[in-house]
Formats: sequence, C-alpha cells, structure tokens
Amino acid sequence: MVELVLFYSLAIMVVLAAVGVVMASNPLLSALHLVLTMLGVAGLFFLLHAPFVGAVQILVYAGAVMVLFVLVIMLVDVNHLEVKFVGGKISALVKGLAVGIFSGLIAAMTMRSSIQIKEIAGDQSFSMIEISKVLFTKYVVAFELLGMLLLVIPIGVVALSRIRGGTHER
Amino acid sequence: MGSDAFEIGINLLKMILIFLMMVQLVPVLVWVERRGSAFIQNRFGPNRVGPLGLTQLLADAVKFLFKEEFVPPKSHALLYYAAPALALIPGAIAFGGIPLSQPMHIQAFEMGGQMYGPYTFPFQSYDMGIGIIFILAISSLGAYALLLAGWGSNNKYSLFGALRACAQMVSYELAMGLSLVGMIMLYQTLHFQDMIELQRGPLHFMLFGKEVLIPFLPNWGIFYQPLGFLLFATAGFAETNRLPFDLPEAEGELVAGYHTEYGGLKMLLFYIGEYGHMMVASALITTFYFGGYELPFGWSEPLTQTVRSYFTSVNVGEVMAALVLHLVFMAKVVFFLWVFIWVRWTLPRFRYDQLMDLGWKTMLPWALANVLITALLLLYAGTPGV
Repeated sequence: MVELVLFYSLAIMVVLAAVGVVMASNPLLSALHLVLTMLGVAGLFFLLHAPFVGAVQILVYAGAVMVLFVLVIMLVDVNHLEVKFVGGKISALVKGLAVGIFSGLIAAMTMRSSIQIKEIAGDQSFSMIEISKVLFTKYVVAFELLGMLLLVIPIGVVALSRIRGGTHER
Repeated sequence: MGSDAFEIGINLLKMILIFLMMVQLVPVLVWVERRGSAFIQNRFGPNRVGPLGLTQLLADAVKFLFKEEFVPPKSHALLYYAAPALALIPGAIAFGGIPLSQPMHIQAFEMGGQMYGPYTFPFQSYDMGIGIIFILAISSLGAYALLLAGWGSNNKYSLFGALRACAQMVSYELAMGLSLVGMIMLYQTLHFQDMIELQRGPLHFMLFGKEVLIPFLPNWGIFYQPLGFLLFATAGFAETNRLPFDLPEAEGELVAGYHTEYGGLKMLLFYIGEYGHMMVASALITTFYFGGYELPFGWSEPLTQTVRSYFTSVNVGEVMAALVLHLVFMAKVVFFLWVFIWVRWTLPRFRYDQLMDLGWKTMLPWALANVLITALLLLYAGTPGV
C-alpha cells in the first residue's frame, strides 16, 4: 500500500517534471525540471530495491552532470537565448516531433518487450558487489570501451579549445 | 519503516529528534565561532548578553525572525525563495544517514496489555545499506542551493559567487570520492556500522604473513590511510565552502557572494545549511578515520556494562548505553567542528587559480596514487586486522 502510493506520487512527479523540461520557456527552468526528473527516477530505483543504482543516479546525473548544465546556462545570456528557444513554428514542430517519437518508442518498448519489469524487481541481487562482479567479468570489454568513449570527450574538449579561434589558442 | 505502530512511531520520532539535534547545534556553533574567532584574534567577542554572551544566540534568533522581508526587484521569485530551503535539505538528509551510536536491541516487553516484539533500532534516521554512496550523492545536491540563490537574486556579485561555488564543489567532489576509495577497499564494505566495528581494539594487521600488534595505538582508519584522511578533510573544507576555500562568498571581492541579497530568516537557513554540511563532514571524518562511536582499545565494552548495571530494566539500560556512546561520538564530532572553526580563523583565502590547481593538479593525482598504493599493498603486503 505504502509502496503503491509512493510509486504513483513519484511517477506523477517524474512525468510532470519531464513535461516541464519541454514546456519551460526559460532554459534554466528547463534544466532544473530535468534535475527533478532525475531525482524522481532515483526514487523509483530506491522503490525497486536498487539503492546503489538510485544513489549513482543522483550522484552522477543530478549532482554532477546537471550542475554543469546549469552552470553553462548561467554563463550565457538567457534573455537572448529565450527568444531563440521559444520563437518560431519550426522549433515548436521539432519539439512536438521529439516528444511524439520518444513517447512512441517508450510505449512500444514497454508493450512489446519480452523483459518483465516486475521479474527483475523481484530478484534482489542489486548489491554493489554483484554489480561489480558482473561488470568486471562478463561485461568487462563493454565497460572498458565505455570508459574509452568518455575519455574521448575531455580530449576532444582540450583539442577544440586549442585550435585557432579557441579559448586556449596557442 | 517497521512492522507495527510502535516501531514506526519510534522510527519517525528518531528522524525528528536527529533533525532537531542538528538544527539546535547551529546556534551553539555560531556562538563558538564568534567567541573562538575572538579568542584567536585576541578580542573579546560577544560577551555582553547573558553569562559568557550565551544569550546572544536568543537575541540573534529574534533579530533574524523580525527583520524586514525583502525581495530584490527583477529577481526570479520562485528560485529566490527555494534556494534557502534547498540549502538546508541535503545536509539534514545526509546527517540522518550516519550512525550516531550503536544500534539498540530492544527485547520483547508488555505495554498496555499488549506484547511488543523484539526490535533493533539503529541510532540513525534511516539505513540505506549503501551508506557512504548515498551520503555523497545527497551532499552533491548542495550545489543547487548556491546556484539558485546566485541566479535567482539577479545580482552580479551573487551570480559570480554561485559560479565559483559550483565549479569548486564539482571539482572537489571528485577528490573527495576518490580519497574514500582506499578506505572502502580496506574494509570491503560500504556500511558505516561494519566499518566502525572493524576499527575496534589496538592497532593490529597482517604484514607479509606475520601479525603485527601495536598495543599503544587504537585500530583507527587514520593509521591505515593518513593520506586519504588529509585529502578527505581538505575536500570536506572545500565542500562546506569554509575559509581557506570560501571563494563563493569572498567578502573582499564579492560583497557576500551568493547570499548578498538575502537577509533575516532566509540568511539564517543558509547558515544552518553551511553548519549542517560541517557536521556531516565532521561525522564522516569521525566514522571513517577515528573509530566512530567506539572508544579506543575496547573501552566501550566495560563502559556500556557499567551504564547497564545502573538500570534494573534491560531495555532502559540498552538505550542509556547507546546514549553514552552517542556522547562519545559527539565529543569526537565537536572536536572536528572546532578544527573547522580553528582553521577558518588561521589560514588566509586561496586565489581562484590556486584553488583549481590544488583540486585538479594536486589532490586528484594524490588521491589516485592513494588508491593505487592501497590496492597494491592489499594484494601483496597484508590486510588490516579485525
């Protein structure tokens, strides 16, 4: 009973915040709505008895990635950006299309997928030791490749800032 | 939550009491900070109102409550009002996750003609089972309060303070997390209570297959991870935005940084948030490196036995023993809070590029080296004693 109430309130919060991300005309408010969405998703992970995944969701997405998003948005001229962000029928069309495609994809995934969400939630082997064992044995190649992919990003940023016209031009 | 009304009630009561304890420590800390700074700078400090100036706290509270409500024009009202509340929440939640004493094992008892079954109450608001990761995650949300305050007040000084705060917190979070990895590898657990139990007794460990016992030192984490302790404490100072790292509110350059436009109760909430983060940092240092609520050399066992022997009821004795160990824990926490205040009035502020150099070019490599050395030692040299 308590879990049901918690689930529905969290789910409603996540959906409303996600709608807010698209609907907000101020880019900063949009980013803050995304933070709320992340926190709600983390709460859903806690409800699924996966505290590690939930905590990492908060630590990485809400605590680090979104802080940097907000930081960058603060550095630019929001009023100027708002005009670009809101104005124009084409941008509205793109927004509507993006929402439609994503909700269609998710609906198709949940209805046609062979994975039962309930089945996974019932199996409580979400401990950190289990996760790390699987990550460093079965999926070790994929894990290391993902690390390499992330490494490309900082190297790319340094390279971009070093070229002619960049902020750290030689 | 609990299986029956009694357990649920006690658990909720515990949450409220721990939160109130945290909030009530703040005025005392403000007094210690002002008197302590006066002591360090050879001044008197607030000593007029009441004995030792202690009722100055009450006068300050009244002042905070009755100040004029002011909202800067052209500010974003929602963000402006949300920021102080957000400053309080992460610290309060994080503090609730740290065990403040040993768990209380309550035996079955009868009350009002009904039997209440044996319970185990941990001396903390909640126990997630992943301990430190959740605390780190929640305290990483503290950056939003400063960001929203800076952006919502529509003031250039506030915005600069917020930007500095944000860059600083993100940078030092990395070093903070990495400095703890060595500790987690040593103890092979994320759970606070298990870590504290592993720090009992005198210092003893296995070195190249031989058992080494040093009877005059306690088995505390600081003797295994001195570098980790130094890095964690430094990162803790940076995360709380205290003086060697208080660039977000550098009064010489930014008026008051992110809380320039705040006054009265809203300002007070920022203060409570800052001191809450200090308490979380001190409690984490105590738990990881100084044996938590345990006295060194296994003295807590005879102490709790003595306390228990004063009470006829087993359950009351259990609660009292936990409270005595809680005082031990708080004594250690208060010592580190004093260190925070001491350092604030001793060291000068960093320059901004020095701050970033320290975070990225000094602390991060040293934290990585600490992880590597700990891993190599654990593999080839020995393990800590249990």
